[in-house]
Formats: sequence, structure tokens, C-alpha cells
Amino acid sequence: MDFDDTPEEADFRAGVRKTLEEHAGELLHAGAGEDVVDARTHEAEMRRTQRVLHEAGLIGITWPREYGGQGGTLVQQAIVQQELARAGVPPLVNHIGLGMCGPTVIAHGSDEQRSRYLPRLLRADDVWCQLFSEPASGSDLAALRTTAVRDGDDWVVNGQKVWTTLAHVADFGILLTRTDPEKPKHAGLTMFVVDVHAPGVTVRPLRQMVGSAGFNEVFFDDVRIPDAERLGEPGEGWRVALTTLMNERVAIGGAGSDLGLPVETLAAHARERLPRLDPERQVLARQAVGRAVVAALATRYTGYRRFTVLSQGGLPGPEASAGKLAGTAAAKLVADAGVRLLGDDAVYAATADGDDTWQRTQGYVPGLAIAGGTDQVLRNILGERVLGLPPEPRLDKDPGGRR
Amino acid sequence: MNFDLGPDQRDAAGGARDFYRGSASPAAARAALEGGPVEPGHEALAGIGYLGITVPESAGGAGGSLLDLAVVAEQGGAVLAGPSLVTAARAAVLLAEHPDLAAQLADGSAAFAVLDGPVTGSAPSIDAAGATLFLGLDDGALVVGEGEATPGRPLDATRGLAGVRLTSRRVLAEDAGALWARARQVAAVVLAAEDLGAADAAVQLAVDYAKEREAFGRRIGSYQAVKHMLVDAWVGVDQLRSLVWWAAWAADAAPDELPLAASAAKAHAAEVLERAAETCVQVHGGIGYTWEHDAHLYWRRAKVDRLLLGDAAEHLDAVARLAVAGALG
Ligand SMILES: Cc1cc2nc3c(=O)[nH]c(=O)nc-3n(C[C@H](O)[C@H](O)[C@H](O)COP(=O)(O)OP(=O)(O)OC[C@H]3O[C@@H](n4cnc5c(N)ncnc54)[C@H](O)[C@@H]3O)c2cc1C
Repeated sequence: MDFDDTPEEADFRAGVRKTLEEHAGELLHAGAGEDVVDARTHEAEMRRTQRVLHEAGLIGITWPREYGGQGGTLVQQAIVQQELARAGVPPLVNHIGLGMCGPTVIAHGSDEQRSRYLPRLLRADDVWCQLFSEPASGSDLAALRTTAVRDGDDWVVNGQKVWTTLAHVADFGILLTRTDPEKPKHAGLTMFVVDVHAPGVTVRPLRQMVGSAGFNEVFFDDVRIPDAERLGEPGEGWRVALTTLMNERVAIGGAGSDLGLPVETLAAHARERLPRLDPERQVLARQAVGRAVVAALATRYTGYRRFTVLSQGGLPGPEASAGKLAGTAAAKLVADAGVRLLGDDAVYAATADGDDTWQRTQGYVPGLAIAGGTDQVLRNILGERVLGLPPEPRLDKDPGGRR
Repeated sequence: MNFDLGPDQRDAAGGARDFYRGSASPAAARAALEGGPVEPGHEALAGIGYLGITVPESAGGAGGSLLDLAVVAEQGGAVLAGPSLVTAARAAVLLAEHPDLAAQLADGSAAFAVLDGPVTGSAPSIDAAGATLFLGLDDGALVVGEGEATPGRPLDATRGLAGVRLTSRRVLAEDAGALWARARQVAAVVLAAEDLGAADAAVQLAVDYAKEREAFGRRIGSYQAVKHMLVDAWVGVDQLRSLVWWAAWAADAAPDELPLAASAAKAHAAEVLERAAETCVQVHGGIGYTWEHDAHLYWRRAKVDRLLLGDAAEHLDAVARLAVAGALG
């Protein structure tokens, strides 16, 4: 047992660190404790940051070389991730493309699609989004209603997607549609790559509860998609979507990085703020800080165990869902402790001098518990697939996802 | 990074599992509440060498790491074995400079207990009830002596708790505060390891029952209220395993990390075992509330262990103080 880099990993890390230092001036840096940057206001800098990183060889570490990737290992990918966080580089503009869409194209796309899309995705020439959820199908994704109907060499798409992160700046998306309403709901689905700028696609930003616009609703009115843009066979869309979802759960909270603000940020904040509280409040605040640190460390070290499995060539199993579930709970405790340390400022949306780090992360947590599988859905997955408990009786096996 | 047990530790865990399953059980823990012996007992543990896992080979021990001991302790916890390996690990640290006494610890010729609180009237201390020699901290000095143990009515008889008044004492080391603190951290890690085993067993017991028992025409494990409760308990156990391994590893490989890791593991263990045991009782319904069922034996262990060697509040406070002082790096 050890937590050290192997000599090769240490070399690799040193190289990454050096590269990041050399390019520091060209990269976007998050403000103190900032975890998300608004793609709307910073789109150009975010795209440039990813392009610079790509040119420096730090993007698409595990992707095949022929498509602009580095042909590297999961361990190297994790090292890059850690070093980006350490250097204060905020999440990349194409985090959905890199984490979910790209791996789906790699697994299910044609050679032609891979060559056309992947290098541009890596350079952030194109930003990608994931068009899965609909007003009537989120957790129950396979109940979706957006249709694609074959017409000559094209498919004609009608329907609506919603909660689509980044659609407002995206160029392409992976789109899950229903192509056969007569089949049982999981069997009638087909996945496509869609050009978000195509005629008939309308993107409307939605204001999130914290006030900013991070996700959108996306309407499809007779949008034509060439058959060559299909990912996988017609009717195989569910299997393709499972590739995306598996990558999503690993991307979110898979291998030991904190969701929300890193716990080190909380420790630094507590160092500064604790002495300003009344002595009795300090006792209580230390309990909150201690609880948050324990939860964050427990999640982080459990991630290291999963990561060890991956680095020895294992595949992520359904336990990955536990990382997201526990990571979300830890993020809530960290955010809550951070806010409480603010004393009187805790009831406002920012401190008197305008710093909203902790209030913002507090507002980000409820989304974590919903996006990428809600806490409840993850508990179902863990209960059934890890503990082997019986599933619930289901009433939704009729064609087309209709009851 | 390689955060996993090695092949030798896996083998040792497998061996410990067989040994403990053959020599201790929740049934024995129940019988102990009615005056029966604590199983496997001091002699059997000395015989198989578990009391000397971390005692140096030169003193007759196995010279192993705390992680080697923790994987064995986990298996003892699973069947509510006694005496606890907490004492063996803690005494081994305290007796590092006293090979003659360490040898008696390893071969079982003395039954040690380590006293918490004043030696003139200690707090309830683990395995003090059956001990022949006591280690304590007296005015900053590490002392060994004989004593008079006064057990209370046991809530969990496998813990051998008693308050002790020393009747003789000999100073082993002056200014032993730092050594004492480290030994207590090591003890907290081993207690967390035993709690890990107990919590894992309690969750497994409940999961097995939820797969069989039917109500309203369905197996109860298909109800989300039951399923999600079990998942939360399981996630806690899975996370506790990570903290226990990290803390046990740190004791030998990264001593600077031990205070933080030990307190994190102990605080988490208290809450994880309590939730696992309470979930186990709840999922079983009426049968889970009977004397004959094993669920209450895990519950007893939980209610006692959470308060030993510092409760969660104490350890959370320690974690916060250490984090604020820069222990996270
Ligand atoms: C910040 C954010 C970003 C997102 N980004 C994207 C994106 O980029 N692309 C995309 O496609 N989607 C995205 N989503 C959508 C997200 O995947 C869905 O919101 C999520 O899957 C839940 O679906 P829903 O909103 O329809 O809620 P519902 O499925 O209607 O759930 C409502 C409630 O019912 C519970 N529930 C539902 N089914 C069960 C069940 N079987 N057992 C127990 N409880 C259940 C849920 O846990 C929840 O509490 C995003 C969401 C958020 C919040």
C-alpha cells in the first residue's frame, strides 16, 4: 500500500506541472475558491484555455492518438486533473464533451465521425452538450418522447430537451431520440450527433435557482439529421446511452477528487474565520468543520481505492455511484460549514466585501444531488446492483414508454 | 498509488476470518451477558499470536505493521470477539522500550489493560476486567502496576470494561505524554477496525434478511424505505474501510498523518457502526428486538464503542483543530 507516484508517474507529474507553469499566462484561472466559471461571459477565454492545454498535450490523455488524443493511461488522466485543480484552472469549457460525449463517439461512432469530431472537440473548436433529459423524462430517461423519423438519407427530429448544460454555447450534442414507438421503451431508442446550429434547433437559456444561466431548454422542429450522424444502430440507443452514463458517473466523483470546493479551501477559510466567532460558537463551528473534513476525506480515500482498481486495469463498476452519492453529501457538509463560519454574513448572498464563494457553493449543492442521477436513483442502483436487493415492481414495460 | 491490501494481508485476513469464526460468535457475546466467558479469550489470542502482531520479533512478536493488525482486528469485530486487539496494539506502542514486558504481552503470560484517566480511579477501560497488569499515565509518567478492577453491569460483556485503582506502580518512562498520545491514536485506529468488521457484518445480516422476508406480497428489500436505509449503511461501511486502511497505514508509513487519520477513522466508526446496528434491528422488525436475535449484540457493541477512547464529538473537534493547523497539507 502506498500513495506515492511511481517514478514514471512522478516524471509525468513534473512534466505536467512545468507545462502548466510555462503556459500560466495564457490560461483562465478561477478566483479564490471559484468552482464554476460562467460559460456565457467567459466563453472565449474558456475555449482558448482548453486549446492552449490541448496544444501542450494535456487534453484527451486517454483518447486515441489518431484523433488528437495522447494515447495515455487513466492514471495520467487523473494526474493531469489533479494538477489542473492545483494550478487553479477551472473546469474546462468542454467538460461534458470530454467526459461524456467524446467517449460515446469513440465507442459507438464511425471512423468518419471520430476523425471529424474528436480533434475539434479536444481543441474546443466545438463545444459539446448532452441532450438526454426531457420535461417528462429525467430519472426515467428511457421514457423520452423526442422522435426521429426516417426520411430518405435523413432523420427528422421533433421534440424538446431540457436542463441541457452548455447548450447555449454548444456547437454539437449527442441526442437520444425515440425511433420506434411500437417497441418496449428501452428498445425503441436511437442516438445521434446533432449540430446545435442546424435549422429548427432553438436554444433557450433557463435561469437556475442561484440566478445564473447554466442550462437550457432545446427545441427541435423538423430538424434534419443525416443518417451518417447516427451513433450505433437504430434501436440500440439505450446501450449507447449507458456508455455515456457510465462515463458520467466516473467523471463525477469517480476517483477521489472533491465535488464542490476542496476541503483544503474549507480548512484555510476556518483558519481565518474561526477566531472571529464567539468562543461558544467556535466550539460548534469546529464540530461542523470536523464533520465536513471527515466526510470529504472518507470520500476521497474511497475514491483512491476505486482509482487503484482502474489503474490496475479494472473497469468501473456500479460502486462508482457511491462516490457520487457520498461526494454530494460531503460537498453539502463542506459548503454548510463554510457558510456557517461567515457569522452574520451567512444570511446574505455575499460577504460585505462582495465575496460569494461560500454562498455560491451552497447554492451549487442541490444541483449536484440531481444532475447525473439523483441521490434516490443512485441508491436504487446501489441497492439492486451492489447489494443485490430485489427491484421494485414496474408498470412501465409498455411500448413507447407510455403507461 | 496502490491503495489496496497486499496479498499477505489478504491471506492474513482470510486466516483471521476462519480463526475468529471458529472461536467466537454473537451467540458467545450473548452468553457472556449471562456470565459466560468472553470468546475466543486471552489464551487463544495469545496462542495464535494475535497479541504480538505489532510487537518486535526480538521481543517474541511478529514485527508486523498496524495495518497487518487492523485487517485481523476487523475479522474479530465481525463476530464480536474479545478481548480486543485494541489493547494489544496500544500496549505494544507503550512497551516499545521494554522488551521484557512486551514479550509478556505477546506470549500472553501477562494480561495487560491500558487505563484511561487517573490511575487512582480510572475511567472504564477496555479488557480491564480480566487483566493482570495495568499500564497508565501518572503525572506524565508511564507506569505499570497491579490493581483492583471494578466492573459495572455490562452493556456489552465482550469489552471487559472496568474502572481500576492501581495497588502498585513502577515508572517505566518519565515524560511519556507524546508516547501516550500516539498509543491512544493507534488504539483508536484498531477500535475503528473492529467497528468496521462489526458494521459490515450487521449490514450483511440485514441485507440477507431483506432479500427473504416478505410483506404486502413483496420482499421487503424491494421497498425503497428499506433499500435506501441499507444502502446508506453500506456506503458508510465502505467509506469507513478507506479511513481505517489509511489510518493504519499512516501509523507506520506516515506518522505525521496519524493524528488526523486516527481521529477521522474513530469519529466515522462511531457513527457508521451505530447506523449499521440500528438499521439491522429496524430491518428485522419484531424478531430484531428479541434477546435470541443477534442484532442487539451489534447494537450493544455500537452503543459502547462509540464512547470509548473519545466520542465522535471529541474526535471531530480534533480533526477540525488539526485541519485548521494545516494537517491537510
Ligand atoms: C445542474 C443540472 C445540470 C443538468 N445537466 C444536464 C445535461 O447536461 N443534460 C441532460 O440530459 N440532463 C441534465 N440534467 C438533468 C438531470 O439529469 C435530471 O434532472 C435528473 O436525471 C432528474 O430528472 P428530473 O429532473 O426529470 O426529475 P425526476 O426524475 O422527475 O425526479 C423527481 C424526484 O423524484 C425522484 N425519483 C424519480 N424516480 C425515482 C425512483 N425510481 N425512485 C425514487 N425516487 C425517484 C427523484 O430522485 C427526484 O427527487 C441536469 C440537471 C441539473 C440539476
